[in-house]
Amino acid sequence: MSTRFEHDDDGVVVIIGSGAGGGTLAHALARKGIKSVVLEAGKRYALEDIENDEWAMFEKISWLDERITAGPRQLTETFPNLPAWIVKGVGGSTIHWAGVALRFQPHEFRLHSEVGEIAGANLLDWPISYEELEPYYVQAERHMGVTGEASGMPLHDWNNNFMVLAEGARRVGYEKLRAGPMAINTRPYDDRPQCMQAGFCMQGCRFGAKWSTMYTDIPRAEATGYCEVRPNAMALTIEHDERGRVNAVVYADAEGKLQRQRARAVCVAGNSIESPRLLLNSHSALFPDGLANSSGQVGRNYMTHATACVFAEMPKPVNMHRGTTFAGIISDEARLDRSRGFVGGYTLEVMSLGLPFFAKFMDPANGGWGRDYAAILEKYDHLSGVWICGEDLPMEENGITLHDSRKDQYGLPVPIVYKGDHPNDEALRRHGQQQARSCYDAVGAVRVFDVPDFPTSHNVGTNRMSARPEDGVVNQWGQAHDIDNLFVSDGSQFTSSGAENPTLTIVALALRQADHIAERMSRGEL
Amino acid sequence: MPLAIGTTLSRRRFLTLTGALAAGSLALSASTLWPRWARAEPELATRLLRLGRDIYPHEAIADRYYLAPLTPLLEEQRELIAAGLDDLDRRARAAHGRDYAAVDSAAEREALLRQIEDGEFFQAVRNTLVVGLYDTPELWQAHFGYEGSSWEQGGYVGRGYNDLVIDWL
Repeated sequence: MSTRFEHDDDGVVVIIGSGAGGGTLAHALARKGIKSVVLEAGKRYALEDIENDEWAMFEKISWLDERITAGPRQLTETFPNLPAWIVKGVGGSTIHWAGVALRFQPHEFRLHSEVGEIAGANLLDWPISYEELEPYYVQAERHMGVTGEASGMPLHDWNNNFMVLAEGARRVGYEKLRAGPMAINTRPYDDRPQCMQAGFCMQGCRFGAKWSTMYTDIPRAEATGYCEVRPNAMALTIEHDERGRVNAVVYADAEGKLQRQRARAVCVAGNSIESPRLLLNSHSALFPDGLANSSGQVGRNYMTHATACVFAEMPKPVNMHRGTTFAGIISDEARLDRSRGFVGGYTLEVMSLGLPFFAKFMDPANGGWGRDYAAILEKYDHLSGVWICGEDLPMEENGITLHDSRKDQYGLPVPIVYKGDHPNDEALRRHGQQQARSCYDAVGAVRVFDVPDFPTSHNVGTNRMSARPEDGVVNQWGQAHDIDNLFVSDGSQFTSSGAENPTLTIVALALRQADHIAERMSRGEL
Repeated sequence: MPLAIGTTLSRRRFLTLTGALAAGSLALSASTLWPRWARAEPELATRLLRLGRDIYPHEAIADRYYLAPLTPLLEEQRELIAAGLDDLDRRARAAHGRDYAAVDSAAEREALLRQIEDGEFFQAVRNTLVVGLYDTPELWQAHFGYEGSSWEQGGYVGRGYNDLVIDWL
């Protein structure tokens, strides 16, 4: 049983969300002796709840509350109420992430300076450089147990799926081929066992070999006595005093009863959909457009990564489902090189899906059926797959807005998640698909086919960092420009999306933010 | 018994979310329902089965694996299904002078279905099957080479996750 704090205890930091951002922050603050209450909208799960079953786990852990998918893309028809595939539960999307732990590259923090203005995009440099973040990357890698230098753990052995892709990649001249870095143990580390190569990384690791705040940071934060986690607690609004400083969070508890937790500071870490939604929903006479929104940028610049999948049928069985889901990474195309016809880069990440998901996602549109489709499925064990993770340019019109009449089970306006692609995203995706096809062709593929976009798990932007208050929502510490005891602690503070999976950067930023909060508290500023 | 109650609920919840079905009451276990339904409406069952087998044609998979996921759909949306099948027969008679199921050529039957693939009826059947049929564990290994859950056996460490020899070039 963890510590319990009183609802009128105004000395606690209230953290909304328990995933990569919120869970890490709660733990880091607790280790410094700073009290926090974590409000998590979802349930608490045990390792025994994790199954190697795609649909069962989809149903069990996904964020399935009503949301509206909007924008000029196929997803609005194929997944009209599932714009993003993320988790609702203690641990957040760190239950579901596949462990790829890449750092952003230095140039990705200053993309605007590197490439200048791009019509239709809302580019901006981060107010923080790679060099400033680097020590926290190292700290995050040790903390999470990322294979490679920081943890001292070796990279994973290549699984069959990656062997196929990597052999093709070598033949087309790629050189940056690695089975990692991944926050999945290759030997016992930090009281967690080594990876058993079971697959199903995105359903949750049954063994606990993958870093997840579900069973690392959250219970450790609680064990200090400085952190209380309240599951089934959906934050509804953040309140403030007459001076405009936040001082409480109103939430619905498991019974749907409204509760009000007073706060010394509030850290929002609910993912790029829920975090801006909460700020927008917390409008008041003093902040008529929502909290921290004097710039009008709350909810805008939503990015998901420019993605696509390519699968290939090989002449003999591959058994892609064996081993880690994202077993290897090719980084040659992650560079900035405008000669390819687009700015920003992409990583090629080998990927597997189990048969149930593959059957659904290979072509979720109406045409995904028939003799040819069934014939591909009958070759399931011959397939290899790759996912393109590319720089998605921020566009001001992409974002989260509140529906004007529809309410969810908490009585909150349903969020509308609007996302369109910039021509740059499309050019990048086409290039990536072509390169992936070349890799597979080079290793003798029988056939190669593109798989359309499905609901993303990478959601960034919507409360972005900016040097100037008029350009974004938070500063280089994730602190709201408008309200100095309000912080954003998740991927919504990203200024650009990079070509890398976001989790390591979210964790590094959370560790850095914890230091900043502690310093300011020690100076009496918070 | 191909379907447990839990997985049936999962699929139905997913289909509802992704817009394939309107929200409805939860189905009971398909495996206990379909024989009763098939006995009650054998003619409808046979016609729906032909359609299902054309959407995802796998010669070696037995009829009951198609009927199991389709049964709760028919239980809940009988009118939609019956009307859709009647419409399909009308189209088949106009094009080939016989009911859909009596059209011998699989390619001709598929061509008929391409005409209606965007419609509510076809989508309901396809979305039910694409989730239901391929989430049937006893079909995985034999028909697709998919092994499913592995944690009970300690994953694939030492069991072939890295045993590939690329000798096909």
